[in-house]
Amino acid sequence: MNWFGFGFNGFGQIRANEKLTDGESAGDANVTYPISIDIVCRNLEEEPVQICQHNSNVDTQIRTSWSRRAALHSNRLPSRDCNSASLQPAQPETAVKGDGRLCLAGFGVGTPSQRGCGCCVEESRGCQDAHISEGYLALSFTDRVECWNSERNEKKPGWSMVIPDNTGPSLAFPLVPGGYIASNPPFYRPLSPQLLAVSLALGTEHAVLLTASGDIYTWGSGSHGQLGHGDLSPQEEPRAMEALMGMPMSTVAAGGWHSVCTSAGGDLYVWGWNESGQVGLPSQALRGEQQKSQDTGGASTCEDQEESNDEVFISIQAFPALVDVTKSCEVSKISCGSRHTAAVTSTGDLYTWGWGEYGQLGQGTVNSSDEPRRVEFFKDQGLRVVDVVCGPWNTFVSAIKEDPSLHPDTNILNPL
Amino acid sequence: MAELWSAISAALPVTEAEFPLDFSEKVESSVVDVLKRCRQQLYTGSGRWRQNAQIILDFSWEKLNTGTWRDVDKEWRCLYSYGCLFKVAALCRDDASPATVQEAIRTCDLGLLMGAAIMDNILQTFVRILQNEIRKRPSNEENPSEGVSAKKMKVDCVSVPVVKQALAVPRIHCPSLESFKKDYLDPQKPVILEGIIDHWPAFKNHPWSIEYLQTVAGCRTVPVEVGSRYTDEQWSQTLLTVNEFIDRYIVVKDASSLGYLAQHQLFDQVPELKDDIRIPDYCCLGEGEEDDITINAWFGPGGTVSPLHQDPQQNFLAQVVGRKYMRLYSPEDTEKLYPHQLQLLHNTSQVEVESPDVVRFPEFVKAPYLECVLQPGEVLFIPVKHWHYVRSLELSFSVSFWWS
Repeated sequence: MNWFGFGFNGFGQIRANEKLTDGESAGDANVTYPISIDIVCRNLEEEPVQICQHNSNVDTQIRTSWSRRAALHSNRLPSRDCNSASLQPAQPETAVKGDGRLCLAGFGVGTPSQRGCGCCVEESRGCQDAHISEGYLALSFTDRVECWNSERNEKKPGWSMVIPDNTGPSLAFPLVPGGYIASNPPFYRPLSPQLLAVSLALGTEHAVLLTASGDIYTWGSGSHGQLGHGDLSPQEEPRAMEALMGMPMSTVAAGGWHSVCTSAGGDLYVWGWNESGQVGLPSQALRGEQQKSQDTGGASTCEDQEESNDEVFISIQAFPALVDVTKSCEVSKISCGSRHTAAVTSTGDLYTWGWGEYGQLGQGTVNSSDEPRRVEFFKDQGLRVVDVVCGPWNTFVSAIKEDPSLHPDTNILNPL
Repeated sequence: MAELWSAISAALPVTEAEFPLDFSEKVESSVVDVLKRCRQQLYTGSGRWRQNAQIILDFSWEKLNTGTWRDVDKEWRCLYSYGCLFKVAALCRDDASPATVQEAIRTCDLGLLMGAAIMDNILQTFVRILQNEIRKRPSNEENPSEGVSAKKMKVDCVSVPVVKQALAVPRIHCPSLESFKKDYLDPQKPVILEGIIDHWPAFKNHPWSIEYLQTVAGCRTVPVEVGSRYTDEQWSQTLLTVNEFIDRYIVVKDASSLGYLAQHQLFDQVPELKDDIRIPDYCCLGEGEEDDITINAWFGPGGTVSPLHQDPQQNFLAQVVGRKYMRLYSPEDTEKLYPHQLQLLHNTSQVEVESPDVVRFPEFVKAPYLECVLQPGEVLFIPVKHWHYVRSLELSFSVSFWWS
């Protein structure tokens, strides 16, 4: 699988700039167009690592924070080799558990140069999953969870917790038996076992939970409609989203102040703040900005501002809205940045919308959009998008070549 | 062009070493890293400092929008101001065209509105420098104040409500501190004080007018409320320059939407206007400090409405331009006023005062009230928690003093 990145690159977390001149630092330029990220892990001297991008022995996932990107490597079952004809992406369940390692790129880590995927975090060896935030690095192992303070160079984790054996099916991080791990203290937050939590997405000040029955619960701040209950009140405890009851949902994602979920049938629902169009509904703030930039000179004339009076603009969507990403396809994967949204369809296309000022929509511009738009790059390159992971201001995409009959070596893409 | 930059850089610390960037642990090292880049680029004059300033602005803007405004840590507001500072410096270095100067002023204003004062309120210093830059130019092109007196303001046929004598707010001329305290403050009775603001420069030296406001603050960005009243679904807030506000909502009064420069601490933002007013002496009868008195500007066309509501402090409402119809209800009668249940609006009544729905709110018409038409030069004393309803009858400018 190949990983691509675009958007905020202020710390070189997508790519390093070539030369450092006075006053410039590693990653000043933002990346507006998808570029290939060299994510092959060369950190392990003891294992000969194949340079081939389609090294099917190693599964790599991406974790992000504002200033960093982490590559979470784990070994797959060694049943495939590079030249295999069936290049299907390994499902996370088939990866061997408890042998992961985390490699960081971005702030404080320097520019990834010869070590393609970044700097290996020694303490992460053997981990199952990880979450990184500006302040902390949370690692989950089969028997424990550790939270390391990113700012200080310490020998021990600032906080840790033992996970008792045999507590049921292993849970998707940040879910842990009995609760979940937050990105800042107090780390462990209990959850009622009656919820039967399957998947949890954490926004800036809210949480979106998917249960085994396909129901969605939300809690936290509701000031921007991000809880989806139809009002702006906060919820201290998980509250079921009545608007979606009876429709089994399959994935959830949360951004800064908005939330997204997909139904089992591939429909996409979005709710919350729409100030940059991240909900996918007409945004007045967006249109206003675009209007201003089209005016010549300084003071804008006011006569023509009122022309679109008939259109209904939404700044806060307090109930889930069905968003038509594209007419025919189902949405299979979703992810949210701080103020943008990305969706992968079952046909392997990537759609993005919302805030685009750092190029995080991948359209080659710094424009925001309140309508889902396909990222043509992948189609143009004959790539089938498999997964998407958004950082707060950037987007990472994994994709594979559409035509598996080609020799893998010829599929190596040159960075743009 | 070089003049602008030299004025701006003269306001900054001489060397990079003297430029303070001290933040608590709350501000992540990655952010401080970007700030240091900005500072370095400011003094070496190279690099993508416009971009780095924008990173600071975007990062802190997200923090400002996290949690309730009241609870936002001052560090983030300071950080936002630093972003504004670096952006203004980057703008002024490149060029000094009118558009750039206007954008720089707007950036300063956003920092003054949403940030916290840094480096001896340097953004205010920048605004002074930038306004001088504008005034240097001969009045031309997009100068909206040109011919404003010639511009026909839509003169409304004002229908002034007739105040029933029995319900009129009592009036008194220049009372002594003692008699005001004894007769009105202590028993918490509303009263109109006459003659106590005649000495204001806003009446004598430079009478406030549209022209004057445009001269003093035309290019400044202010928050404007759009919509008929804040309880309406369509109500929203936007940021406009004073010139834009006047052009869009005062000179050409659009029937479809009202704009109101309401409840804004304009006098902190524009010190020249603060010099035109005085804090009423009677405020010293309160327990609070003078620095804690909140002074708000209320400037808008005829027809602006503040729905019936109550405030947690004593209020002197000074009328400077135009007239307002006002009604006052005692907090004893709160039950008859049907306050909203929502926490966000529990200080606001659900009733439309001048056309109440008697079916939904039957008790309202039984609630006793006082009313008045407040004229320029008069000051209305609104005791704490007293419900009040305000409708402007024509172009109006009021100044309110919230004190305890």
